[in-house]
Amino acid sequence: MATSLGLNALRLSLSVLRPSSCAVVPCQLTVAHKSHNATHVINYRRTRAEMAKAIRRKQNFLHFELVDKHRHSPLQTGTENISQETEVTAPRNYRYVMPEFMPRPDWERRDRVLEKLERRDMMRRRAIMNIPEFYVGSIMAVTVADAYAPSKKNRFVGICIDRGEYGLKAYFVLRNVVDGLGVEVMYEMYNPKVLSIEVLKLEKRLDDQLYYLRDALPEYSTFSFDMEPVQLPKGADVPLNTTKVKLKPTKEWECRWEAHDLQGVQPFEVNEKRMRRKEKSAEPWKKHDLMLDYRSRVPEEEEEQVMAEVFREKQVIDSQRKSMRTVLKKRK
Amino acid sequence: MMAAKPLLGKVLRPCSIALFETHISSKLFPISSVCVQQIREKSRSPKYVVRPTTRRPWHVRKWTTKQDASLTSENETFVQDVIKDQYLSPSPLKEGPWERNDFQNGTRRTGALALKLGVIKQWTNSGKSFYVTLLQILDNHVINYVPPAQYSAYPSHKPHHAERFGLQIVGALSCDPRQFSKAYNNLFVKAGVPPKRWLTRFLITPDAAVEPGTALSVNHFRVGDFVDVQSRSKDWGFQGVIKRWGMKGMPASHGVTKSHRKMGGTGGGGDKDGIWRGKRMPGVMGNRLSTQFGLKIWRINTKYNILYVTGPAVAGVPHTFCRVKDTVLPKKCLREDRSENVPMPTWFPEDLGDDPQPEEIFDKDLFQFTEPSLVEETES
Amino acid sequence: MATLLSNASQFAPAAVRLGTTCCAFSTTSKLLEVRLLSRMRIVDNSAIGRAAAEIGKPPRVIHVYNKKQVGHLGDKVLVTVKGEMRRAYIVGLKQKQRPNVPRTDTNNIVLVDDNGNPLGNRVLVPIPSALRANKKGDLTKVLSLATKFV
Repeated sequence: MATSLGLNALRLSLSVLRPSSCAVVPCQLTVAHKSHNATHVINYRRTRAEMAKAIRRKQNFLHFELVDKHRHSPLQTGTENISQETEVTAPRNYRYVMPEFMPRPDWERRDRVLEKLERRDMMRRRAIMNIPEFYVGSIMAVTVADAYAPSKKNRFVGICIDRGEYGLKAYFVLRNVVDGLGVEVMYEMYNPKVLSIEVLKLEKRLDDQLYYLRDALPEYSTFSFDMEPVQLPKGADVPLNTTKVKLKPTKEWECRWEAHDLQGVQPFEVNEKRMRRKEKSAEPWKKHDLMLDYRSRVPEEEEEQVMAEVFREKQVIDSQRKSMRTVLKKRK
Repeated sequence: MMAAKPLLGKVLRPCSIALFETHISSKLFPISSVCVQQIREKSRSPKYVVRPTTRRPWHVRKWTTKQDASLTSENETFVQDVIKDQYLSPSPLKEGPWERNDFQNGTRRTGALALKLGVIKQWTNSGKSFYVTLLQILDNHVINYVPPAQYSAYPSHKPHHAERFGLQIVGALSCDPRQFSKAYNNLFVKAGVPPKRWLTRFLITPDAAVEPGTALSVNHFRVGDFVDVQSRSKDWGFQGVIKRWGMKGMPASHGVTKSHRKMGGTGGGGDKDGIWRGKRMPGVMGNRLSTQFGLKIWRINTKYNILYVTGPAVAGVPHTFCRVKDTVLPKKCLREDRSENVPMPTWFPEDLGDDPQPEEIFDKDLFQFTEPSLVEETES
Repeated sequence: MATLLSNASQFAPAAVRLGTTCCAFSTTSKLLEVRLLSRMRIVDNSAIGRAAAEIGKPPRVIHVYNKKQVGHLGDKVLVTVKGEMRRAYIVGLKQKQRPNVPRTDTNNIVLVDDNGNPLGNRVLVPIPSALRANKKGDLTKVLSLATKFV
């Protein structure tokens, strides 16, 4: 806990150092050429060859800042530009409410026009089908279109154990134990076959991913399909569920949970050999790695701009929905 | 098996693959003037890869080395205003506009230069998900037209083209003329457009010739048509045989001595004394032209000039430039009987008429996010 | 297909590859595929199934009726149960599935005889609704036994 507080303080001081949006010359410390994925170790130091390649003018591709420069150039006519001014500002932590709207941190794959058009598609879908605020640990009910079911719909209730990806690929995974069988389903949030997403109980957990529920006692993953939605008082913070889950005996695990830093799990014991193996493969420096943390997000100014736009459009959609509801009520 | 022919006193043409020529023609007609020995291609493209450092005698120096850094800020703004006035004021056409012919079978229209933006996910109306690549046709102008008679004198002219095709030079991304050399800037005088960062050429039939100076927009293509997209693949640099050719290597242990990622054997058996030409070995990987044929256009955004084409397979990193043109595939290409109202030779804003242009045009099979969710109604 | 591949890294918990490989080619994380000698769980109330469960010897796949020899939902497999060979249909997989298709915690099978008639008369666990769309084999008799669809 102490280290994470220290890390936060350092992060605030580093916010001044975030890359500004008008830099064209690539800075010394940049991500390597390969794509970013969960287990890839980011190589911050560019080799000389990569630096030379980036600076050479004979490339058949452009840095995304240069592309934007061309789009906004006075000599360019025929293509419109995305306007980025918004008077509205989003609440501070809005990026956690709708995280799939955040731009990808991989600077090599970023494009503002692509992001804008993708966000527009996402907002259009949200205007038709409401996607509520949810976090990993919330209990949700999802109805999808099923051509082969008698009612043409299929409803599943479960706890959200994972959520991820950016843009239209955004997904979440629900888990439940049905008739003694553990079942997990992955849903794409913007799939047109998803008919409704409801949050029955909005809460957070101590971990970002709850895959350890597979190796926990079944009662921690069992939720009734007829569960009633739990109403939270308006304006209240999202409650944090601090339950510590009891795991099954070590031998039955599918994963070496001792190697993960799990907060939401009751203490367990593991034999000496596994402890030694854990220490050998542990990477204790990662939590102090500020550059890794820094590179996993986009510059703060861009984040604020994007979220302000998203917040503004969401408010429009919400107000339209409210007025529709009042109209329907009046008709009744 | 072609025997090695002696080259007796023949005037050798240089290796005739120009920088942006489509290489399907070289596949179909491998009678290149220099290639005389057998090449084992193993179903890959020929190994004559034109590297960016290769110079052609007709190329002009592009970038200028002189930098004028001594301008005051007022002078700088003045110069920029002069540049804007020169290129943005509409110039009257010297001759009348060129005639617009109808589309016929065998007509080849110009293509356009697009910028690959990236990939997003879309859904069909049956609920199937797939990826589309976004290509932005940004700041394209036609720079020049070379009639067939003139093109047949070019060194890059292929014998089988005869006098069927002319060349359309298209450029993208206007730039400040001060960073280019005088010779390069002179290429754009005829068109009256600012000098472009990228140039390419397309083989076209004379009935589809476009006047230099015309702007090309995304409306040149239509939703539901198919295109070929050609671009340079990602530059991987010098790579070993496992990454480059997918060889398996050898085990990490079990007695293997110093040979974990090597080629292994190189011999041709009893048939060949030595190594066959075209043997797969380590070398430079990527940064070569790659063409994706028959990509369907699912959606068009006319405001930002964006094409949505099938699949994530357009070669190259994001912000690579691509040549986009009508497909050559016989079942998908434009034909008189199945394609009506093909914009010939390209789309002009006058074609709109009174109706305002919709910002987005969708294919009928593409799910539009403004539509309700895809669910069948129950039989009650 | 593209979805599965793109989400691969996000799906497995952010685990470190703790083992070392003794081969020079890359190894993937656990795919949990149903192949030759995979252990399955019988989820109908057939006598053989119950007996095998009591002994504690799970049925093992010895053939997948498939070109690729990897079993998917709705595929027919040949398993050995208590020393005998029986045909079965896969009705639940531990493997990561495409969107909207459930993934179960065990690899479940329902035994059938050579004509496709199930050996039991009830299926004890929920079955993925996606099986109803199956065009590959004749699952109708198996599906008629199911009480709950997920």
